[in-house]
Amino acid sequence: MSFLNVSRMMCWLVASVCICLSHDAFAQGADIRILKDGANKKITIDVSASGSSSKAAAVRAVLFEDLKRSGWFVPAPSASASFLVSLNVAGAGDQLTAHVQVARNGGAGTLLSKTFTASKGDERWLAHQIADAIVWKIKKRPGIAATRILMVGQRSNRKDLYLCDYDGHGLRQITRDGVPCHSPSWGATAFEVYYTSPYAGFPDIYRIDLKTRNRARVAKYPGLNAGAAISPDGRSIAMILSKDGNPELYVQDIRSQRLQRMTTTRHAAEASPSWSPDGGAIVYVSDTTGAPQLYIVSRNGGRARRLTTPARHGSENVSPDWGPDGTIVCASRRNRRYQLMQIDPDGGNNTLLTTGHADHEEPSWARDGRHIVYVKTVGYKESLYILDTMGDPEIALTRFPGEWYSPAWSRFE
Amino acid sequence: MSRYRWLVLGLCLVVCVSLGSGCRKNKVNGGAGSDGSMNGDTLADFDSLDNPMGPRDFDLGELVSDVSFQPVSFAYDSYQIAPNEYGNIDVVAQYMRENGDTRLVTEGHADERGSREYNLALGENRSQSVRAYLINIGIESDRIQTRSHGEEMPIDYGHTESAWSQNRRVDFSLFR
Repeated sequence: MSFLNVSRMMCWLVASVCICLSHDAFAQGADIRILKDGANKKITIDVSASGSSSKAAAVRAVLFEDLKRSGWFVPAPSASASFLVSLNVAGAGDQLTAHVQVARNGGAGTLLSKTFTASKGDERWLAHQIADAIVWKIKKRPGIAATRILMVGQRSNRKDLYLCDYDGHGLRQITRDGVPCHSPSWGATAFEVYYTSPYAGFPDIYRIDLKTRNRARVAKYPGLNAGAAISPDGRSIAMILSKDGNPELYVQDIRSQRLQRMTTTRHAAEASPSWSPDGGAIVYVSDTTGAPQLYIVSRNGGRARRLTTPARHGSENVSPDWGPDGTIVCASRRNRRYQLMQIDPDGGNNTLLTTGHADHEEPSWARDGRHIVYVKTVGYKESLYILDTMGDPEIALTRFPGEWYSPAWSRFE
Repeated sequence: MSRYRWLVLGLCLVVCVSLGSGCRKNKVNGGAGSDGSMNGDTLADFDSLDNPMGPRDFDLGELVSDVSFQPVSFAYDSYQIAPNEYGNIDVVAQYMRENGDTRLVTEGHADERGSREYNLALGENRSQSVRAYLINIGIESDRIQTRSHGEEMPIDYGHTESAWSQNRRVDFSLFR
């Protein structure tokens, strides 16, 4: 064996050792691209308002903010804007109305001519409706301005459910259970929410009607009842129950109460179910092979398919949310921090959405399939942020006192 | 020449050991992990799946407050009962044998690290492990319910290993 050959072999071996030691880093670096700020191109728009001056100015200001937050628009002077919006705001009795016209600058005719109404004093709601109509008309995408965000808030060491508008306004406390709430989610309408509470002694699943404030206990099996997720057709509820000895995924038909066990993972736990947009499958967390990873199971049951692995997607992948456009977002553990990752249900197109030294957890898609609300933890303090997957800077949602986590973004108005 | 051969063989050994230990580490710890990630490759000593939960549609009664029990502590990422923890459970079992009118709730907790929803499941698995052991040593299954609090009710609100180790536990609540 010549000295040269031995040297080559040593180099190869040293390289092998290096690759082996940094295997995780290499594997996790594959397929990852991080979106850059300003990756999307904005549409220029101007809004002019007439009518009742103070109300018109208030509606216009909120509308401008909504259009910017939609991610699609940027304000511009009327001479150079691509689209022009004119508002005529009037207050009559208990009602506030706005007639809205939207036109392409220099184009013939109007794209939208419609009257919107809201309760007196609710300029914000009026503007939110208008913003979503403009987004739909010009971008053919659902808007987010008229949606709301459900979350758990910790104030004075109490952990209750709260609700706020998509921009952080209109904060409302929903529960006063005196015990910590868990895993809130939206039902099949804008007025129905589900959550887990040990309010009556054990962790049970409750449904709250936001209109009537009525609360009904919908799952009270022995052991754990958690992670309620309503199917898109509103007929079934996916949940985690431990009545058979350890936490497993079940689906219950709401009308017949028929319960179907979806997983049988002895000595392992399941958590965090989320339905596909067509209701045909459920993504969930299981630790059946060690650390928690994502799995997908058909609505009809059968063998689950593993979606994430430590070698390709981070040592843990938890808290999945299956978005309206079919993309899954989850919290992925990388280098001792949780980062947000989006991934297609077939395992393709996985993209790391965040980096840095904070923890980024519990993501929830907006109905536009573009924005995500999530928990950012800095110095052990949790607060909610809105992330734009197309590159706009993130926005702090919870600018009020307290700690905020477990957000669920409504897909309804 | 033979010196080089030994050097090459030595380096091969280093490669094999580091490959082997990397795999083993991944399997046992399941990667970086949190208190929400459990070992799935080793079986619990007592199989909670053999012990489906009994009905809990009963009034728990009053909390027994004239006696207190030491909690069962758990290792990071684990719901397995460590050998030195059985003594704490045996004390509870003895009390339940001597007080046949009592019922028990095993209260499972996790430390603050990891996913909240996942820690709720981990707390439940810890409760179920303790319940399974109690049934295994002769306590009637319908006298024991489980309750998980996840990471929501720490004993120590600190962010140190000492705080976390106190918070990974199962507490005993006896009722009569």
